[in-house]
Amino acid sequence: MSDCQGLGDCDDTRMQRIYEYLDGALTRSDLAEIKHHLDECPECAQQYDLECVIRKVVKRSCTEAAPENLKNAILQRIHTIRPVDA
Amino acid sequence: MRSPTRMRPFVVPETDASEGGNAFSGPDVVAGPDYGTARRRTRSATIKVDLNAMSTVDPALQAAQEDAANGIPKTGTSPAAEAAEDIDVGSESAEARRARFERDAMQYVDQLYSAAMRMARNPADAEDLVQEAYTKAFSAFHQYKPGTNLKAWLYRILTNTYINLYRKRQREPLQSNSDTIEDWQLARAESHTSSGLRSAEAEALDHLPDSDVKRALQAIPEEFRLAVYFADVEGFAYKEISDIMNTPIGTVMSRLHRGRKMLRDELADYAADRGFKAAADATAATESNKQENGK
Repeated sequence: MSDCQGLGDCDDTRMQRIYEYLDGALTRSDLAEIKHHLDECPECAQQYDLECVIRKVVKRSCTEAAPENLKNAILQRIHTIRPVDA
Repeated sequence: MRSPTRMRPFVVPETDASEGGNAFSGPDVVAGPDYGTARRRTRSATIKVDLNAMSTVDPALQAAQEDAANGIPKTGTSPAAEAAEDIDVGSESAEARRARFERDAMQYVDQLYSAAMRMARNPADAEDLVQEAYTKAFSAFHQYKPGTNLKAWLYRILTNTYINLYRKRQREPLQSNSDTIEDWQLARAESHTSSGLRSAEAEALDHLPDSDVKRALQAIPEEFRLAVYFADVEGFAYKEISDIMNTPIGTVMSRLHRGRKMLRDELADYAADRGFKAAADATAATESNKQENGK
């Protein structure tokens, strides 16, 4: 259980608020409220930072370039298809 | 990047899509064609959500998104330009449509390949999957509505292709037992405490090799993994993920919540294995003290 209850009375609620904050799924007033809280509360800010780091490393690790020939293979293949008339 | 496509108020079907398993078990939706209208409506009760009331994120992230939106896409057309274009799909010649497909859709090959790697687990299958998805997308392209989110439309086709083509073929115990795995995962996530990570560990996570991160993500049951991937890597909004995965928004949100928890826990394990054990132990001690005191 977290000590701070500024974003909710349990860890789950707190994390959910942080997720929504990062996901851009809040109304402007909620957004401002959470931003204000994160500025004031090191404990919640730490959770927020950690979530940011996780997103950063996942994004970094999962960005892959398709093999060279894939694009050509697709283009070749769609040239053999007669497009359906709308 | 978040799609700049206009957000409209929309209606979320209240399905009884409880957690676990219903994920991809929807009807054999033929990839793509009726994107946006094919959402299953299993009950008449609806919740109205006004996305116009929602805003975007913190300033830094917003700025990043704006940068991304202003950046020049590889093949030249920005989503905004697509939206502005007035295309009469009905009277478009086959050649014009092919050219439009090549110009607008082919720029996402790398992104779809990265997503396919999270589904198919190996490069050869991921390539096949992307090729198959593009073939379907091209065949159905006359049904794609210009101005709507093309990337999300392609992701939906990719996801459906994966479900229909691969997942049925694969006989992985992990997936046929997804309920059991899920329970086990959650129990584990809770006993570890999701708030157990501290800044030293944030530091450690930041330095994890890509291979560890990929494996950690791969260890999460697939419907959670894909939701997390779509949100955290691709930046799709809940509504878009709900369209891509053909699940209600509430299910998307709970998958994200639980999936992120599992991911955090997996990553913490990898960090511990990489020699950040001291930090993890200290954390565990703090946590157990807290629990003692709480009694």
